[in-house]
Amino acid sequence: MSLPNKKGYFGAFGGKYIPETLSVCLKELENAYNSYKRDSKFKQSLSFYLNEYAGRPTPLYFAQRISKQLGLKVYLKREDLLHTGAHKINNALGQALLAKHMGKHRVIAETGAGQHGVAVATVCSLLSLDCDIYMGAEDVKRQQMNVLRMKVLGANVIPVESGSKTLKDACNEAFRDWVTNVRTTYYLLGSAVGPHPYPMMVRDFQAPIGIEARSQILKKEGRLPDYLLACVGGGSNSIGLFYPFFADKQVKFIGVEAAGFGLGGYHSASLVKGEPGVFQGSLSYVLQDEFGQIKNAHSVAPGLDYPGVGPEHSYYKVSKRAKYEAVSDDQAVEGFRFLSELEGIIPALESAHAIYYLKPLAKKNKGKTVIVCLSGRGDKDLDIIKEYNQKKQRK
Amino acid sequence: MRLKDKFKQLKKENRGAFIAYVPFGFPNPSATKNICLSLERGGADVIELGIPFSDPLADGPIIQAATTKALANGANIDKFFSCLGSLDKVLTIPVAVMTYYNPIFKFGISQFFKQLKKYKVSAVLVVDLPLEESDEYLKQARKYDIDTIFFITPTTDKERIKRIVRSTKGFIYYISITGITGPKDIAYGAITKQIKGIKKLSNLPVCVGFGIHSAKQVAEVNKFSDGAIVGSSIVKFIEGNYDKKDFLRRLERYTASLCMK
Repeated sequence: MSLPNKKGYFGAFGGKYIPETLSVCLKELENAYNSYKRDSKFKQSLSFYLNEYAGRPTPLYFAQRISKQLGLKVYLKREDLLHTGAHKINNALGQALLAKHMGKHRVIAETGAGQHGVAVATVCSLLSLDCDIYMGAEDVKRQQMNVLRMKVLGANVIPVESGSKTLKDACNEAFRDWVTNVRTTYYLLGSAVGPHPYPMMVRDFQAPIGIEARSQILKKEGRLPDYLLACVGGGSNSIGLFYPFFADKQVKFIGVEAAGFGLGGYHSASLVKGEPGVFQGSLSYVLQDEFGQIKNAHSVAPGLDYPGVGPEHSYYKVSKRAKYEAVSDDQAVEGFRFLSELEGIIPALESAHAIYYLKPLAKKNKGKTVIVCLSGRGDKDLDIIKEYNQKKQRK
Repeated sequence: MRLKDKFKQLKKENRGAFIAYVPFGFPNPSATKNICLSLERGGADVIELGIPFSDPLADGPIIQAATTKALANGANIDKFFSCLGSLDKVLTIPVAVMTYYNPIFKFGISQFFKQLKKYKVSAVLVVDLPLEESDEYLKQARKYDIDTIFFITPTTDKERIKRIVRSTKGFIYYISITGITGPKDIAYGAITKQIKGIKKLSNLPVCVGFGIHSAKQVAEVNKFSDGAIVGSSIVKFIEGNYDKKDFLRRLERYTASLCMK
């Protein structure tokens, strides 16, 4: 079975639920992508920038101290070591090159944690493209350093004041801009979400994570891992890690969502607690109320603070190819400290959700081999940690 | 009343339709019935009643703010159907329901159309449901004999237009701009040419929406189309006048001024 099918469906999920204005340009994008992904010059160019500019391949690091403490064999796929500090650069490079090939000179993007925004601002600077980044006003406050980085790189950061002022609203504004300026503008979507072909395209651009990890673990261990572990917001780092192992049925996938303040309250666990729905261009699991209104999401990690998820994850969930769990804000901060203190690696708060989940996983899986995607580095989150600590002290 | 009967009547009167859009529940759910009646008294030929959605990505700031307010004030699909029930016997012009897809998907597609039939709704428009995703929706709409209005935009190519008109009933909604709802300048020349092209492919009425906000624009648009759709400026008027004592009379007069009655 090909994933997705020609209509952009992963099983029952995916599709193109978009205003008519975008129909023709999405078809244009799909055609361009299908043609360029087979084009040797395009592939060479992408490969050059991924290796020489972004810093691929990233190491698969054996984390000795946490492995010893947990009784697992833990390998970290070090996407945090990439240029701009997160896996987001893989997709940004791929799509920006595509935009350039398509003759689009203006790029727009949305960002939550700012990592995608920084990656887009970076590649736009590199490839001489005009760049506007939509960011929820709340996230602008939470991620000051990344806002500054985007501005230094020449991007225009547009704070979004509507709704919950986070990623979901930044996405809506980016879509509105795109509907308006569709003839001249390329929308560089940051996760494996949205209408077809984005979920497929972003997955493909993130697949080097899994492709490299697969060959690296075979070299180091002589066998495939027992588990793959990655955080899931929209789901791009996780799908990039999982997809190249799709046919390796013995390798179990675990996606870790944000349980925020707890699954009974305010969280971002779309797969664990959501239901199928149509949101921002595709049919997938989404947090919604009984009337089909989209709920606001929450996570201490701005990059996970999103009420939807990519359709391929929804397919993995219902087909039971992957299992999805949720980790709270407090647990994620514990994961953040755990990796920082034991391995000298400060993870992004997004990745810290996956790191924390090693603890419950270790309880019944002693001696097993696990690859965790360390999707980004945590320098950007130090202000959040500082504020978190201050709040805890006040309590 | 059905749209086809309304357009027949308008043809006899040799004039274009004035279609007024309002979101249900704005500024609160109990206000919608009287707002619709005021719009009718003011001269609206069709009411386009929106079911508010939390993430209206094709709408501009005016309608977005209105739908947010409606939801905050308790608008939901159950109350929407109650409102349709209360309008059923008193409103004489056709009602077309406009929304985004998720509220329908969540409610159940078949159940949704069954309810629309019960309350004699004439047609449905779904902003984020293109033709390619609409098989089940079309099946249920035909079963319950509800018209399905699809959109054509300045970016829709000829081959696509051919397919869209085959699945459209009631009227074709031509979006005058690439962009979101809200007051804009309209390029009459370009739209005239495109509507002529659509008319060669279909006998359906073609109405123009998005951007239209003045009586002058309504009159201009109705020279070359079968109707003009006005939303944001009506919503803005409601927002600015709702707390005034003679609000419903004012809305009626404002509507009359827009359609020059």
